[in-house]
Amino acid sequence: MEELRKLPAFFRRDLLVLLSYKTAVWTDWIGLLINLVTFSFVGRLVDPSRLPQFGGSRATYLQFVAVGIATSGFVQVALGQVMAAVRNEQLMGTLEALMMTPSAPATLQLGFVTFDMVYVPFRTSLFLVMAHFLFHLGFDLSGFGPAAAVMLALIPVVWGLGVVSAAGVLTFRRGGAVTGFAGAALTMTSGAYFPLDVLPNWLEAVARLNPVAIALGAARNALLGHAGWSGIVPTLLKLAPMAAISLLAGGLAFRLALRRERRLGTLGLY
Amino acid sequence: MPPDGSLALEVSQVSRRFGALQALDQVTIKVARQQIHALLGPNGAGKTTLLRIVTGLLQPDSGEVTAAGVAAGPDSREYRKAIAMVPSGDRTFYLRISGLENLAFFARLDGRNRRDSLQRARKCLEAVGLTEAADRRVGVYSHGMQKRLAMARALLGSPSVLVVDEATHDLDPEGARRIRALVVQAAERGAAVLWATQRLEEVKGFAQVVTVLRSGRVRFSGSVPELLATVELRRFLLRVRTGSNVPPTADQLAAALAQRGSVQATPDVEHFIVTLEDEVLLGDVMNDLGAHGIQVVACQEERSQLEEAFLRLTGDGEQA
Repeated sequence: MEELRKLPAFFRRDLLVLLSYKTAVWTDWIGLLINLVTFSFVGRLVDPSRLPQFGGSRATYLQFVAVGIATSGFVQVALGQVMAAVRNEQLMGTLEALMMTPSAPATLQLGFVTFDMVYVPFRTSLFLVMAHFLFHLGFDLSGFGPAAAVMLALIPVVWGLGVVSAAGVLTFRRGGAVTGFAGAALTMTSGAYFPLDVLPNWLEAVARLNPVAIALGAARNALLGHAGWSGIVPTLLKLAPMAAISLLAGGLAFRLALRRERRLGTLGLY
Repeated sequence: MPPDGSLALEVSQVSRRFGALQALDQVTIKVARQQIHALLGPNGAGKTTLLRIVTGLLQPDSGEVTAAGVAAGPDSREYRKAIAMVPSGDRTFYLRISGLENLAFFARLDGRNRRDSLQRARKCLEAVGLTEAADRRVGVYSHGMQKRLAMARALLGSPSVLVVDEATHDLDPEGARRIRALVVQAAERGAAVLWATQRLEEVKGFAQVVTVLRSGRVRFSGSVPELLATVELRRFLLRVRTGSNVPPTADQLAAALAQRGSVQATPDVEHFIVTLEDEVLLGDVMNDLGAHGIQVVACQEERSQLEEAFLRLTGDGEQA
């Protein structure tokens, strides 16, 4: 319990740091909206009959891709931030100062991402609400709750993968390229920008196992297909074991990486 | 002997190797509560490796480290509660947020709640004279202010052991004096201080015990007077003149020395470096110079006794 009480300190620290970069906050949001405008034009080229149906009705491309942009943004930011958090601490020289505090490694792992795990779902939800009103997307407003629940269930999956990346950063210093590749691969096979059935059969089979694709399908069903709370239960059941495996792998990888750094004495090197 | 007899930090037979380099070899150091223990050594002597082991950032290959009776270990939170460090570098804070928020953050990682953390942070900022700068971003702090902030952070948890790594090496004299005063206060409140430094003169009148490391081994461990006793000074810088206020020549000084040492002229006509043979007493030489009509206006060690001892112990004395 004492360790959990430390997490708000990380949240406050990162909120203060974020607020000190006001321009970056605004440009992030403007970038998201420009992205959506871009896809609204791309949508004019897409044959609506190629898009999947949700709850018996066919979605427009903009409806389809808006949920995809929100979710892939969620994954990219969450995955990248977990890794970047460790890297930033290394570059700022604060990693060793943190390691000298009487905090458990798991507390630090959680602390590094506490803010993002709150801010990123908030950013995703707000983006969808704004897109709904600005572009008249006609989302089922009662679907926002279930969609948010799916995103919350996706958090530990992404976090675990992020922690594995963070362990890679501790060990190999520059793990950004690997994380970028992993994020791109997850996004490409998630169906964020196109339906999975346009992929080759073998890749589609792999993509169906992608936790992001699973979460994205459920979020679309909630927002576009009126699936409701009962519609997300199978998805939550699928994501739960993935989350457990991801968290275990992340925790183990980080602990091993930390132990290795302490053994070699290279914790502060970057 | 420790001031109150109780050991706070024990480093026992610690060895550490990096590939072919034996960075530390069977190093043993004991620091008592209220004691300031200086760690001296040239670059590459093993000081930083030792400090990283003491702070739990690095594991030794063999040997044991205990602080306040708790053994160091890779996951020992109790050990880390007992230790605090003032690092040598500046960049150990979040530069975009204030000094107060930085300290409150680290105080919360010590296990305090938000209110206690803020109170403690304010108290520590006051102790290091940073109250007025508390709400300013650390990024605008001067170098000396960041050092004091690092000291304030180290004092947040009232640690049993305070490790200070080269905290004054790039500070102006006033900044260095302030840091030393804060360390002395911490020791007076009961902390055992392990102080790594290259500033030889600052250990005088400051540290009770000195350990000199060279090539990963302890070359000397004892009090400052004991360290000074390891050398007998032989070289002196003399400022001299004759009764007629005309500077003497080197030959006149050599004649007064009468084969008991050598004289070396300097660019300044009034200054000479005199090197005495073993067993020759400086007082006798002064008397003889006076008898030859040479007045000694000033006499100082050509190199400090501490520096002499340091160089001798770390193996560079012959070259100096």
